[in-house]
Amino acid sequence: MDNFQIILIILSVATALCGIMMAVSRNPISVALSLLGVLLFTAGIYGLMAEHLVATLQLVVYAGAVMVLFIFSIMLLNLNVELKGPKIASPLTWGCALLVSGTIFLALVKSFVHFLASPEVGYSLGQSSESQQDAMNGQTYGLAVELFAKHYIAFELMGVALLIAIIGAVVLAKRKID
Amino acid sequence: MDSPLLVTQTLAAFLFCMGLFMVLYRKNTMIMLMAIELMLNSANLSLVSFSHHYGLLEGQVQVFFVITLAAAESAIGISLLLNLYRNLGSVYTDKLSHLKG
Repeated sequence: MDNFQIILIILSVATALCGIMMAVSRNPISVALSLLGVLLFTAGIYGLMAEHLVATLQLVVYAGAVMVLFIFSIMLLNLNVELKGPKIASPLTWGCALLVSGTIFLALVKSFVHFLASPEVGYSLGQSSESQQDAMNGQTYGLAVELFAKHYIAFELMGVALLIAIIGAVVLAKRKID
Repeated sequence: MDSPLLVTQTLAAFLFCMGLFMVLYRKNTMIMLMAIELMLNSANLSLVSFSHHYGLLEGQVQVFFVITLAAAESAIGISLLLNLYRNLGSVYTDKLSHLKG
């Protein structure tokens, strides 16, 4: 157990606790803040794995922009007041949801444990991370080469998708449907 | 146990199933949108940890695209919810039963 493992386990337990908080709390604001905790601790895990660019993107785009959008719209819709009547689903719905998600969790863990036991885990598809980063003048350079030289069509399509999303959001939020 | 793969993949599976559980049982559509964000985030965690394990950058390119699409998706979803709230006065799924039966 070196320092890396200890910090990783602390961050993972904190992330899982925030996820559980998200599932059990009733107030939308506390759900949003728990989601913010999940995103921040996940960014911590990315930083621990030395994937600094992804950690920064996670902080700026997810924990910054998207969460501000969510909290602002919770404030705008005034969802913070508790409405009358039961807002928790019936035990049947609850049990079915638990059954489905639990089954999928067990299937994922089983397939992953099966994968870890197989011999191709140790087989490295590329070079080791550090030497690759040294050869590429750091990770951001390598990611830029991947994005703008190999996946440029997908990158441009993503720009078109963002434009369509902006126009759609403005048109949808502006007028009332009669 | 020398690689963070086991811990991060288990955490990603746990977060994904927590998000799925919330999408299935919550009644507030705003919270359901947040649960979808949680599921996307757990998929990102899985991609980044495999990309770190194999020393490849392909997974991080996918993470870049997923983050972009998640931002677009939440903007569209929230504007749809605003419209819903203005037309029906509620964002709870038990009020949205006009197409039932």
